[in-house]
Amino acid sequence: MDIWPLRYLGTLWSYSWRWQKRRLSTWVVTAIVLGAVLSVAAAVQLVVWVSERSLAGQLQSASEMQVFLDDGATADQQAALQTKLAAVPGVSRVDFRSKAQAAARATRDPQLAPLANASQGNPFPASFVLRMQNPGVAPRVLRAVAGDPALDRKIPASYTAAQAQQLNSALGAMKFVAGALDAVALGVGAIVALALLRAEIRARRDELRILTLVGVPRAVIRVPLLFQVISLALAGSAVAVACLLYMGHSVIPAIDSSLPFLRLGDPSPAFGTLSVATLAASCMALIPCALLVRLPR
Amino acid sequence: MVANPFVCSFGLIDQGWTHMIPDWEDERAQEVAGRGEIRLTDVSVGYGDDPVLERMTLEVERGEFLCIEGPSGAGKTTLLRLLYGSLPPRSGSAVVDGVDLVQLRPRHVSRFRRRLGCVFQSYELLPHLTARENVLLPLQLAQMAIDVPETRASDALDAVGLADKSASLPGELSGGQQQRVAIARAIAHEPAILLADEPTGNLDPVATAEVMKAFEVFHEQGGTVVMATHDEVLRDRYARRIVRVGRIDPRAA
Repeated sequence: MDIWPLRYLGTLWSYSWRWQKRRLSTWVVTAIVLGAVLSVAAAVQLVVWVSERSLAGQLQSASEMQVFLDDGATADQQAALQTKLAAVPGVSRVDFRSKAQAAARATRDPQLAPLANASQGNPFPASFVLRMQNPGVAPRVLRAVAGDPALDRKIPASYTAAQAQQLNSALGAMKFVAGALDAVALGVGAIVALALLRAEIRARRDELRILTLVGVPRAVIRVPLLFQVISLALAGSAVAVACLLYMGHSVIPAIDSSLPFLRLGDPSPAFGTLSVATLAASCMALIPCALLVRLPR
Repeated sequence: MVANPFVCSFGLIDQGWTHMIPDWEDERAQEVAGRGEIRLTDVSVGYGDDPVLERMTLEVERGEFLCIEGPSGAGKTTLLRLLYGSLPPRSGSAVVDGVDLVQLRPRHVSRFRRRLGCVFQSYELLPHLTARENVLLPLQLAQMAIDVPETRASDALDAVGLADKSASLPGELSGGQQQRVAIARAIAHEPAILLADEPTGNLDPVATAEVMKAFEVFHEQGGTVVMATHDEVLRDRYARRIVRVGRIDPRAA
């Protein structure tokens, strides 16, 4: 059996390792800096992820609007109102919630439970629960049903049009800031990594030139560069994943316990995805450098 | 011919990779037309807009020992760079070791260089490799020494009188010894042409004599030597023919 491919791979790997070992201190410093940058990016990603999840929860509850029914509304009036609500653009679902269901939910709500327990009878009205695409749909809903006889005259809906607009704007701004932070962190990480790698490549140009002069194929000359960037990406990602785990297991629970209203929750479902994404992003940023570095003719 | 599993993975990066060991061995097995010869006809070469050599004609037969001389900046190094494929000719015809440099595509330059031996003034050794590895590794990386006995590196070092220094790093060797390692690297794959750019420029007389002896051995075995130098003593002692850059001055040794 001919084993020269294996021997050749062994030679390449051995050469690549020696190539890297010679400048191990530079490699370690580069890996640490790259790891730090990736850690920042991964940490921001994690915070963005848990924040987005938290925001998504808030958005979902905010996008759930209740249109309260008058206690005296007839079944026909309720049916007509339901049809009218379902026809409003942006309303994706309309569910009926009876007085009994409303009372039962109130007993489980910390803010409404005292009222539910203290009241004789059932003070909670029946309602239609609307699932909207976003809170900005609320003003359209209120306009569409204004003056309907089935509506509760005192409190027709769970929030006003102005409140809906404010909430919508606030949630939009928060999502924009989170996205911008994410993009800036990734951009800075990529730029720093590229600058470090290019400096490393410049330092090795003499060696690359010698190999070129003696007729080593360019693809082969690039193999140690590829080996180096992949090892850098692995090392940097390992540091970033360690940072990610620390953030997830220590920092975010600490934030949750200090600021319970934030409810960032358990970040562990994001670890796998973020770790793979960090490694993939670092490889995608670094490998092109090794492939595109200009070699002397 | 051995099926090559790397062609698929690396072929997109460098088409030159597809020229693997079997090709090289095939080339070595057959006598290529023009092997060991250099034919330049009305060749012009330069850097950017700056022409260095204009309409140069030069013919070197196999087995010649040729010196290129001229003052600094005259184009000695430029001529050698042309010969080893580092600078493409702008016009004219240039055939080196049977390869037409006008037709030579950039992706085939590395393959072309593997036909030649090149020695440079600054030795160009990899400082972290031993003398033996410096000779062997480029051959291995260039896929020329995978199927040939690894003793070839030791034989080449022996030929230049450095068999006992094979485990030394370049930093542990004198300038002359380093240059001889470079010569061993250049001749280990048994090229027909050895190109040398001021190979003794950094050496004292004793080291110069050692290096020139190595060139002589290569020449006596039938190899073609083209050496750029400004050392008149060296030129007069070793050269069978002298070429002044820009004009040709045949001369009996």
